[in-house]
Amino acid sequence: MNYRSFRYSLFFGVMIFASTGCKKLLEEQPRLGFAPTFFTTTDGIQGGIAGVYSSFRGQWATQIFTQLYNSGTDESLRGAAADVQHWFTYNQSLIKSSTGDYEGFWNVLFIDINTLNGVLQFGADADIPAATKTQLLAQAKFLRGFCYFYLVTTFGQVPLHTTFNTSPSAADSPAPLADLYALIIKDLTEASNDLPNTPATGTGKPATKSTALFLLAKTYLWRGWSSVAQPTDFTQAYTISKGIIDNKATYGLNLLPFFNTIFREGNEYSSEVLMVIDHTKDLKFGQNSNPGTGAGGPSENKSNFFWRSGYDLIKSDYPGTAGATVVGRDPQNGRPFRRIRPNAKYILETAFANRATDQRYDGTFQTIWLSNGGSYPSGQNTMPAGTNGATVNGKVLINKVDTAIWLRDRVVTPAERAAFKGIMFEPDYLPGATIKFTDQMFPSIRKFDDSTRIDQNDYSDRPYILFRFAEVYLIAAEAALKGGATTQNAADMINVLRTRAALKDKQTPVEYTAAVAAQQITAAQVTLDFILEERSRELFAEDCRWWDLSRTKKLVERVKLYNPEAQNVADHNMLRPIPQSQIDLVTEGPKYPQNPGYF
Amino acid sequence: MRFTVTQIPPGASTSLNLLLKRGKIIAFFISCLLLNAFSAAAQGNITVKGRITDNSNAPIAKASVTVKGSSTGVTANDNGEYIIDVPSNATLVISSIGYTTTEVEVKGQSTHNISLASNAANLNEVVVIGYGTQRKADVTGSTVSVKGETLSEIKAPNILNQLQGRAAGVDIVNNSTQIGSGGQIRIRGNRSITGNNDPLIVVDGMAYGGSLNDITSENIANLDVLKDASATAIYGSRGANGVIIITTKHGLNQKAVTTYSGYVGVSKAIDTYRLFNGEEYATFKAEAATGNSNSPNTNLYALTNIEKTNLAAGVSTDWQDLLLTTGIRTGHDLGVRGGNERTQYSFGVGYYRETGIIYDQSLDRYSFNINIDHKLSERIKVGFTSFNTMLRSNRLGTNAYGSATRLGPLFKPYNDDGTINFKPASQQGVDAQQINPLTSIGNDDLIKAFQRRYQFQHNFYAEVKILKELKFKTTFGYGWSQTFNSNYTGPNTVFNSNTTTAQSSLNESNAEGWQYTLNNSLEYNRTFADKHKLQVLALQEVQKNSFRSQRVNGLGVPADFIQDYNLNLVYTLTAESNSAGYSESALIGYMGRAIYSFDDKYLLTATVRTDGASVLAQGHKWTTYPAVSVGWNIDKEKFMQNVGFLSNLKLRAGWGISSNAGINPYTTLGSLGTNFYNFGQGTTVGTNFVNGYTINTSPNPNLSWEKTSGLNIGVDFGLLKNRISGSIEYYNTKTSDILLQRNLPRSNGTNSILTNVGKTASHGMEFSISSVNIRSKSGFTWRTDANAFFNREKITELQLGLKQDINNGWFVGHPITTIYDVKKIGIWQTSEAAQAAVYGVKPGDIKLEDVNKSNSIGQEDRQVVGDFQPDFVAGLTNHFEYKNFDLNVVLFGRFGQTVVATYLAADGGGAGYPFFLNSRVNQLKVDYWTPTNPTNAFPQPDAGVDGLRFTSTLTYQDGSFIKIRSIDLGYNIPGSWLGKSGISAIRAYVSTQNPFILWSPLVRDHLGIDPEGNGTGNSVGTTAGGPTPVQGRSITVGMGVPPSRLFIFGVNVKF
Repeated sequence: MNYRSFRYSLFFGVMIFASTGCKKLLEEQPRLGFAPTFFTTTDGIQGGIAGVYSSFRGQWATQIFTQLYNSGTDESLRGAAADVQHWFTYNQSLIKSSTGDYEGFWNVLFIDINTLNGVLQFGADADIPAATKTQLLAQAKFLRGFCYFYLVTTFGQVPLHTTFNTSPSAADSPAPLADLYALIIKDLTEASNDLPNTPATGTGKPATKSTALFLLAKTYLWRGWSSVAQPTDFTQAYTISKGIIDNKATYGLNLLPFFNTIFREGNEYSSEVLMVIDHTKDLKFGQNSNPGTGAGGPSENKSNFFWRSGYDLIKSDYPGTAGATVVGRDPQNGRPFRRIRPNAKYILETAFANRATDQRYDGTFQTIWLSNGGSYPSGQNTMPAGTNGATVNGKVLINKVDTAIWLRDRVVTPAERAAFKGIMFEPDYLPGATIKFTDQMFPSIRKFDDSTRIDQNDYSDRPYILFRFAEVYLIAAEAALKGGATTQNAADMINVLRTRAALKDKQTPVEYTAAVAAQQITAAQVTLDFILEERSRELFAEDCRWWDLSRTKKLVERVKLYNPEAQNVADHNMLRPIPQSQIDLVTEGPKYPQNPGYF
Repeated sequence: MRFTVTQIPPGASTSLNLLLKRGKIIAFFISCLLLNAFSAAAQGNITVKGRITDNSNAPIAKASVTVKGSSTGVTANDNGEYIIDVPSNATLVISSIGYTTTEVEVKGQSTHNISLASNAANLNEVVVIGYGTQRKADVTGSTVSVKGETLSEIKAPNILNQLQGRAAGVDIVNNSTQIGSGGQIRIRGNRSITGNNDPLIVVDGMAYGGSLNDITSENIANLDVLKDASATAIYGSRGANGVIIITTKHGLNQKAVTTYSGYVGVSKAIDTYRLFNGEEYATFKAEAATGNSNSPNTNLYALTNIEKTNLAAGVSTDWQDLLLTTGIRTGHDLGVRGGNERTQYSFGVGYYRETGIIYDQSLDRYSFNINIDHKLSERIKVGFTSFNTMLRSNRLGTNAYGSATRLGPLFKPYNDDGTINFKPASQQGVDAQQINPLTSIGNDDLIKAFQRRYQFQHNFYAEVKILKELKFKTTFGYGWSQTFNSNYTGPNTVFNSNTTTAQSSLNESNAEGWQYTLNNSLEYNRTFADKHKLQVLALQEVQKNSFRSQRVNGLGVPADFIQDYNLNLVYTLTAESNSAGYSESALIGYMGRAIYSFDDKYLLTATVRTDGASVLAQGHKWTTYPAVSVGWNIDKEKFMQNVGFLSNLKLRAGWGISSNAGINPYTTLGSLGTNFYNFGQGTTVGTNFVNGYTINTSPNPNLSWEKTSGLNIGVDFGLLKNRISGSIEYYNTKTSDILLQRNLPRSNGTNSILTNVGKTASHGMEFSISSVNIRSKSGFTWRTDANAFFNREKITELQLGLKQDINNGWFVGHPITTIYDVKKIGIWQTSEAAQAAVYGVKPGDIKLEDVNKSNSIGQEDRQVVGDFQPDFVAGLTNHFEYKNFDLNVVLFGRFGQTVVATYLAADGGGAGYPFFLNSRVNQLKVDYWTPTNPTNAFPQPDAGVDGLRFTSTLTYQDGSFIKIRSIDLGYNIPGSWLGKSGISAIRAYVSTQNPFILWSPLVRDHLGIDPEGNGTGNSVGTTAGGPTPVQGRSITVGMGVPPSRLFIFGVNVKF
């Protein structure tokens, strides 16, 4: 070997090896997860959208969320096991130190917005078929509009970010309300232009054109009520709502004929439903914990827990506590979390005062529990029908046949009580009531029942119904009343729902006809309070009451009128507080302002 | 030549060996030259004799005299005299441990009296300085060097155990008593708050990706530690935590030498925890009933009938004793080294086995190493290094010690028929299902915790002398490691109380990593006009690392013997969440260094390195690190020549910047959080089932390294002809741009971002001294190496200008190991009942300092109650030699740190320590308060509560200690005994490791066995509220397997 050539070839060989590919060496390719640039791919955009939908699972139908947005209204009172009690009572001093209650909602919506900004920004340049891209980006716009809609309607002015954040900063400030509404309207308008009329077959109920229009109408309605109202807002809200109704066939929408079936298990994707937050039995994609392990997952649908009374606490010697359990906890009756209870006086005397011709009281509330002989926690109740259950007042209850607990809507006579095998409860507000509704035992909500679960303590695998077609009529009615159309138009819209509500179980045609007639209202009857009460009848417990009262500026008036537990309510409660962490973490630039009244 | 391990060179202070009389050395060289000049060209063999002496003219006994390039050799007698027949043109190689090997050309001369220079004071000795070597005399940075032989004195499986107490500024603390475990190493303390504080390990010039467990000390020639920023700046982005450079043994230009070193030893627990015995336990329960705060004078966990019977029968079971056994440690290393002018080689095979003091624990390590250097021509040299290890271990982390220390002493371990008493506590409600800890012994089908690890590192180099002064070198190193874990826990043992194989659990994991480094360098060495020495190095380096891992868990197999062998038979298999690991990173570096010296008096080293790193963001990938250091050999100055007692004096100063590669790959890219969603009830993946993503962290293009800049000032000195030598160093280090998670306003759409915002500072001093206390003509020598150092580290800045971040345990002005809690000031005594009542407590409860005088104890009363930073650390090694005997004693001490003895607390909840705990279980015997024993040490037991309040305050103890690390007594078998056996040297020795803890408050007070630590975290929270007072990163003392004491017999043989 020629050493001279060896050493030169070695030298140059090494140098060439070392200098080529150096640049490439410094590039990074993660493989365990994703960088935001993944949003430049079809899977990434689709995943970003799925990720945002999935994030809603952590809010709607979870424990704190459900209490935060239903508490402190005319409709509901504190349950025995309520968590955020200061919001039920408007204990303003506790509220001031508990603004962190809203941190989760604030946080997740802003993360969603940043995600969607990433999807929109990177996705615009993505090399994917134009049609697919349009659809996906329309979803992203809808979702961004959705997130800002909930931020603005909850907190008022919030920061407005429409570009993907690559230089996080400790400075931030709220944007003008007009700009925020303008963005929501722009996003939802563009989304409604591009989204399909109906979802692809078999994909449940994600947002479609009609969903975007629905939220757009509602946004106009909100802005119409707001300090930045535009003259055409209510007209827009009415026109868009009516457009949805007029084209309901195109959008695959229709009211279901019988109120009770709307929330029947298996009807979550019905023509009545505009959008769901989806859930499924599958543990992985449903993000569910193993059945029977206590529903510990933060993304599970637990709507079936919170409005449920403590039926399993009632002993045969009630109000004694030594007797046998008359109704054991079982999958059919569900897990009694007792976080919220309906305001009995309001529902029985105001919203659902007409229980004769209106089916919606029975369709909304569970007032009857059958004996099942079971006794939690000794295992699941498997007592067959016909066996003996607990003995109440010397009478043996027959399981799955006899009513063990009955929540009456009036005071009963001693004779009635004596003739009844089980235990009867009477509305607590009524004079003469002996065995009263309590914060443990109250009419429960049946809209979220899920009987197909394995364990009584399990979450529900039902999709959570977020928006439904009936509300379009109520939006239209409210918009009409506010000048978007005539009060007759408003009455017409409401009468559609009231007509549907006339249909009852085991009703003769004659009875039905009479009921329909009784249900009709005239233009003169349409007032804002009437619409709000109609909303109660139709949408009770569907997680929108506080927003409805806030939008219509009726919160203080109606809460003071109907809710004896929440007399501390004040005007500033029409906005929720900015989470203290947001204020604390803005450490540069101007201090981030708290909403008035909270400090 | 004597075998190299027979004499122990100084350890920690070898870097400071400036003990030579320079005049002598020069005279020696001149005489050699003269001798050479006058010798005629030799013909045939001649007999050469002479005397070998040291620089004080004392004879060097048993020095080795060999003929270079042949197998001929003799050993000098005890008077240093030798006689040898050699070719008249031969070159003699004279060597002896502790002295510089010297070559003398015979040149026909029949007498050669040779003076060997002590290498304990060898200024010509070269030290490794990173990408090269330098004469010790020229070094300007702060380095410390330890010989392989010194490390080998401690018979431990890894270098960390061997290095403990040997090097100033290098603080090594045990954090486990598991066999084969290493410890935590910190060079000049902690700098990073959230990142890694471990030093960079470099083996034979290549950054090392493996574990220190993979390197056998028998294979190490030298270990050098670069401590200050001026020395580590050459490693740029990896150097901030210090650099440990390991040089493996290379071949020699000599006849083949075969060495064998082997030892076998036994290990025993140094002690067991002093728990309550049977009677004391019964008393404890009775006292707990007295102290019952809920239902006075009752005890839900009073003695059961079984216990009462056993108490009467005098039963007092020592469960610890039943679990402990005698461990065995043995090591065998066989090496062959040799070569000629052109080729030098070194081969080594090794085997190490250790069994634990807990039954069935074992660790085996097999190693194999090759080193070959070959000159292709006068100008070209190539070489190859390979070292390979396989580790196999079983049940290392598996022991029933926790159960054993809790189980009452009044239960019998065995039934009367000799079988194991399966559920000894069967009458005691909560603990009735407790399975006998003795089920942890044997049961091989039921208990498996197997690990196998392979590691290899292969380096190749080629070196070309382009000009006489200019050398080009290219080196490529490739390393790979793989770790396979296979674990199975069957039913019906203390580890798995289930009764069927349906509940047996298993997991299997695999991890592998590889790394390559390529560097090319040009080195220019020239002396101008005799006085100007210049060494310039230009280097380019590329390094790439890759790592991946997976783990799968299983539940239920059909039969125990199936274990985890057939995953197909497992009932439920799941991928461990977040178990998948993958990362790749690369680094490209360009470096230049110039070392200049004038007249050997004035020294200057200047370095600049530029690193490009894949983990930094586009456009921000490159960082430059400068460093400069200067030295002044004052002893060379004329005015110093008459200062007789001072034989060496050098002043050094250096400044530099380096950083800590603490940014994880992909951090700057941002990341998406993953979730899942279903669109509809179909199951089509992609249509119905969709993976979802939301923003987790934003891209962070501005993220950069944590940078450490440091100033170092050092003095090296030699006194009394270098019989005393040493050095003193002062350093001051500032680290900025520390990576901290900064919480952001949530409206940013991302919760937090990793930013370069924190700052820390540390300063300290290091003292090293070596002295030859006695060197008598009779052959008795006593030498001492001592080192001591202190380091003061503190956080100087946090995110958002915070003064403290209690959640993370960060406090400005304090070290990162700070403990923040309320402070115990005693126990409320009977006479103080009224005062105690103010706080809602009673006599016998813990008395706490009410900082804000609010008459209640809460979060506001928390304060800094200690930290793990020692006031100072010291090591002391004494060497004694007399004729053929040698004795070494290594002492090690740490002073002033607070340790957390976790078992002195219970929170009645998750942390679940046995401390008091309703008096339900046995525990450490502490001096607890009773009305008749008004101690201030521990509170009154209370059968009414799970965990007493504020017990966290009981765990903070003085962790100071002085330990003897090892005593090593050796005997060199005289050459005359070996005769013509072919064996040239044998050293036999007995050694003990960890023989005594000389002083430790924790041990003195019977509160523990060893204050050094055996784990991290695991402390309980504070009743005062707020986050944990002790961070999970802190080293703590738990009631785990005790540390062990080792007795070893070994031999070193040379053929």
